[in-house]
Amino acid sequence: MGFVRNIPSTSTHHSLSDLVFPLVSQRLPHRRSLNTSPRAGRGRQPLSAFASSTSSSTASSSPSLSSSQERTGSPSLGDLVRPDFPILHQDVNDFKLVYLDNAATSQKPFAVLKSLSEYYETYNSNVHRGIHYLSSKATDAYEQARVKVAAFVNASEPREIVFTRNATEAINLVAYSWGLSNIKSGDEIILSVAEHHSAIVPWQFVAQKTGAVLKFVELTTEEVPDIKQLKGLISNKTKIVVVHHVSNALGSLLPVDEIAHWAHAVGAKILVDACQSVPHMAVDVQELDADFLVASSHKMCGPTGVGFLYGKISLLSAMPPFLGGGEMIADVFEDYSTYAEPPSRFEAGTPAIGETIGLGAAIDYLSTVGMQRIHDYEKELASYLYDRLKAVPKVHIYGPAPTSTVHRAPLCSFNVENIHPTDIATLLDEQHGVAIRSGHHCAQLLHRRLGISSSARASLHFYNTKEEVDVFIEALKDTISFFSSYL
Amino acid sequence: MSSAAARPFPGELIRGLRSVAEPRSSFVSFRRLSVVSFPLAFQWFSWPKSRSPLRPVRSQQPQQQQQQQEEAVDLAILPQGLREIISLFQSVSDPKAKYQQLLHYGGRLPPLDPRYKTDEHRVRGCVSQVWVRAFPDPGDPAAVRFEADSDSALTKGLAALLVLGLSGAPAPAIARIPPEFVHLLGLRQSLTPSRNNGFLNMLKLMQLKALQLYAQGGGDPATNSASGEEIASSDGSVGSVITEVPVGREANSGVNGNRVDHRPALTSIQEVSEVNLDAVDDISPAPTGGSGGRAARIRERLQRELLPLELELEDISYQHAGHAGVRGSSDGETHYNLRIVSKEFEGKTLVKRHRLVYDLLQEELQTGLHALSIVAKTPSEVGMK
Repeated sequence: MGFVRNIPSTSTHHSLSDLVFPLVSQRLPHRRSLNTSPRAGRGRQPLSAFASSTSSSTASSSPSLSSSQERTGSPSLGDLVRPDFPILHQDVNDFKLVYLDNAATSQKPFAVLKSLSEYYETYNSNVHRGIHYLSSKATDAYEQARVKVAAFVNASEPREIVFTRNATEAINLVAYSWGLSNIKSGDEIILSVAEHHSAIVPWQFVAQKTGAVLKFVELTTEEVPDIKQLKGLISNKTKIVVVHHVSNALGSLLPVDEIAHWAHAVGAKILVDACQSVPHMAVDVQELDADFLVASSHKMCGPTGVGFLYGKISLLSAMPPFLGGGEMIADVFEDYSTYAEPPSRFEAGTPAIGETIGLGAAIDYLSTVGMQRIHDYEKELASYLYDRLKAVPKVHIYGPAPTSTVHRAPLCSFNVENIHPTDIATLLDEQHGVAIRSGHHCAQLLHRRLGISSSARASLHFYNTKEEVDVFIEALKDTISFFSSYL
Repeated sequence: MSSAAARPFPGELIRGLRSVAEPRSSFVSFRRLSVVSFPLAFQWFSWPKSRSPLRPVRSQQPQQQQQQQEEAVDLAILPQGLREIISLFQSVSDPKAKYQQLLHYGGRLPPLDPRYKTDEHRVRGCVSQVWVRAFPDPGDPAAVRFEADSDSALTKGLAALLVLGLSGAPAPAIARIPPEFVHLLGLRQSLTPSRNNGFLNMLKLMQLKALQLYAQGGGDPATNSASGEEIASSDGSVGSVITEVPVGREANSGVNGNRVDHRPALTSIQEVSEVNLDAVDDISPAPTGGSGGRAARIRERLQRELLPLELELEDISYQHAGHAGVRGSSDGETHYNLRIVSKEFEGKTLVKRHRLVYDLLQEELQTGLHALSIVAKTPSEVGMK
């Protein structure tokens, strides 16, 4: 096992000690930001700004808010970490920003921003090539980031981490490199209809080029991928199973370790899309026995421009290169070249050095907070979001209902009867400063199966709070009544 | 997607027009008139006191940029209907009321006939579905009228705003409308050209369709619609929309071969009916790849209803494989070239001929037939009896 991911919550992380200021001033952010004091919100109805609305939901807003005050005497994890994220403290459209689009991308703490500027200000230099001081410092930091990522997902060695531009590129790498040399006509590739486009399209390319067949796992009536059907689809023709760990639209979690077991039993590989799991919980690639696993830095509080592929070293060593160029070669001649060992073999050209080091800083930050602590807090947030959203009339949430054993991720894709999700998202943003997403969330197959063209989605991260969920819900009710009176 | 070079049009044209622009003060008096004539009853808020009539409301842009926008839009070139709408929005300061107004407009828009809910009429770049249709004003052949629909209320409102504001104006005036006018409404609306900018693409599609109608001529089949081809194949830049319509130029499509060469008076007319930001310019003939299904159905239908003397149908789906419109129909049968000669076309304008063909193929259009490039002739036009 190696790296200690979880530091006990009595950590002396310097930003967390900001909890010394009074509870009250943190609790109820003043919704409509005029030039009055930002902390005046305590006794105010947050909906006083919606005077022209005919919504009758104003009366119902206070109970939930006051109950959240009475709920606990101590600040939540969200309250504690918010000061670390500068972008959250701003106004959009004259309202305090409520950022609920974390499944699309996450925000970055000061620690990551600092590491980026420090890199560019003091030791920016090309890696692996130079001999001079700056270059070796940059190379060390870059390779140190690789060690951090390896430890974060419990890879058996750092060589099993290949840095890419993002998870999409990582999946393409596996498809073009491993896929094209291991899959032939008649072979089967198993996917679910809930996969992100990045996990589907590259395999369509492979199928088109090799004559392999794509098989899709459908949804159950609970709107989760049908695990029984998946098990039944796995046969000795299966070469690879490509599944998400956590669904970016349904919020459901798949039993990847079981699926890996079934795949390996027939000699097939498994590729895990962990974009929505790695940022939110401890992920152990050895425990899952994943052959390949991908994630993006920008969803886990790191910078954009970098992601990674985890691959078992035995697999990576046998794979041909994906992109050709500098760094991935050993010797270059006119007609041919010899290639470097993994991971360099798959890292052609100058990488996103600063950004990768930033990813390392993000991992440090997350580890200091503690992935278990993040996961526990987000489970609470997930239930709170789901329960409050479910209680809004005419709202339909997609994906499974949470039970005592089955938890959802802290995100909900939903639709409101007779109102287009784009309309909802537009007014939530324009009239309330609440940022959610509307569209197909890069999951058109899923939407088609659900019989819809698009949905709205609110997705949380550990710096969101229940108060923000309250604001979202009230804003949603207000928006719904606005449209209902005109339709 | 559009390069910077695609953007000069509004500025250039407006700069050119400023020299003949009406003085701005005339707008104020105009507004009083428009209040009376505006058909929609609206709850008036307090009359703005000392506001400049062109200042966007609740804008968060710095003052300088605001002024640039005010200067950039010359109201004189906007159609009357649009000016009325702008003045209505400017008299309302509360953003919520503006949205209410938008929804009102949307509510007034009659539902679009389902047969027009095809890819040819769809606006790209909207998360919601938006369709737009242009047709000549029955009472005034020089004017264009529009119909539109959407499944999203706000988008429908925007579409309605455009329909109300643009209908009844002649095509060249419509084509000259700068997208920046939307800032005058005080609605937050990005004008960055991108495949995802629904409003911008809606306006451009309407301008495109207006010009296509204009190019086909109100009743003049000799007008060359080659510019329609240019327009359709542009990358969506408004600049190319204003291209002069060349008259009498031969637009020879490969499908015709040398059939019409001896008839210079009647040029071959080809309408590229698919409006797509990624449209392919040249459609050269290729060995037919169409499998039994669709091609046979199309032929059968047209044979039965039009009793053509000639019918050539060519499946060119392979040329479009991979572009956005073909998503989901990976087995071809999406794009065809059609050449048809029939007595049924006698006495009909080009628009009517094409409409006749489309009406017969509605089912195909709704089940994956993406675009049909039609050459429709009468027997006498091709030298037959």
